[in-house]
Amino acid sequence: MSAPVEPQQLVDPAVHEKVMAEAERIKAWGEAAERYARDEVNQPTINNWLEAMGVDNPRFKAGEAPPSMAQVWTMYGLGGRPSEDDPLHAMMRALTDAGFTAVLGTNCEQAYDRYLTVGEQLRVTTALDSVVGPKATGMGVGYFVTSRNTWYVGDERVATMLFRVLKFIPKGDS
Amino acid sequence: MSSALKVGDRLPDWSLPITPTLVVSTAIATRDFQDVHHDRDIAQAAGSKDIFVNILTSTALCERYVTDWAGPDVQIRGIAIRLGAPAYPYDTFTFTGEVTEVEDGVATIKVVGAVSLGDHVIGTVKVAA
Repeated sequence: MSAPVEPQQLVDPAVHEKVMAEAERIKAWGEAAERYARDEVNQPTINNWLEAMGVDNPRFKAGEAPPSMAQVWTMYGLGGRPSEDDPLHAMMRALTDAGFTAVLGTNCEQAYDRYLTVGEQLRVTTALDSVVGPKATGMGVGYFVTSRNTWYVGDERVATMLFRVLKFIPKGDS
Repeated sequence: MSSALKVGDRLPDWSLPITPTLVVSTAIATRDFQDVHHDRDIAQAAGSKDIFVNILTSTALCERYVTDWAGPDVQIRGIAIRLGAPAYPYDTFTFTGEVTEVEDGVATIKVVGAVSLGDHVIGTVKVAA
């Protein structure tokens, strides 16, 4: 193991300070950018998923939705865009502006409080959980950005997700 | 069967050919319209070898692998994955898995989905035991 590299050796200290200040500002928003799923949990969308994944489970023909579909219901869809007050989007933009233009998903951790059922209307919030870096990775120097999504039906929490991306300067690009 | 899960239980290996149709149909079925999952020209222009499997599908395939083994009534509590090598068309997934912990009514199953470039997904699936 080599000695830990000080942040200032990887990234201009002024840039690092600005990135971390922006992270703190956005983290303070807490659960933000609340939005509703376009459609209620519905059988046709479940059927498309079952066909594509090759899943044949009678439960998912009888009113329950596959648990990992939680995220599917609140996807933006074709042409949809995150709002300006979306914490993950805001942090990504701050890092892009600072030169960390490339992005790579590294971790996704979903937890299901229960399975969803046809007819339920989901809403989701997004929070910025952490920004860690700079790190020298095989892909290049960057920051790990972790966001947290929380899904609700009414006031009941039904699922959560931690999603981590590496936002980086591609090697050879600096 | 889930009540009988014990540490060291191994899941049978599962092989799944990665066709362009699999990549595109699963991306669209998960409502993920990012062009790198369905447009090879754009994916290649962005420096990728080809279109590639999206993250929601990596998670879904872990769900399917564990459910196919544990049975349709299994209650999945969570799926946590770390992403590695990209999954391109004309490659093949090989999934392997093992129960690594059974505690407080929850079994943890370690799942690895490998492709020719290395491990595409390394995950843990938690189920009610």
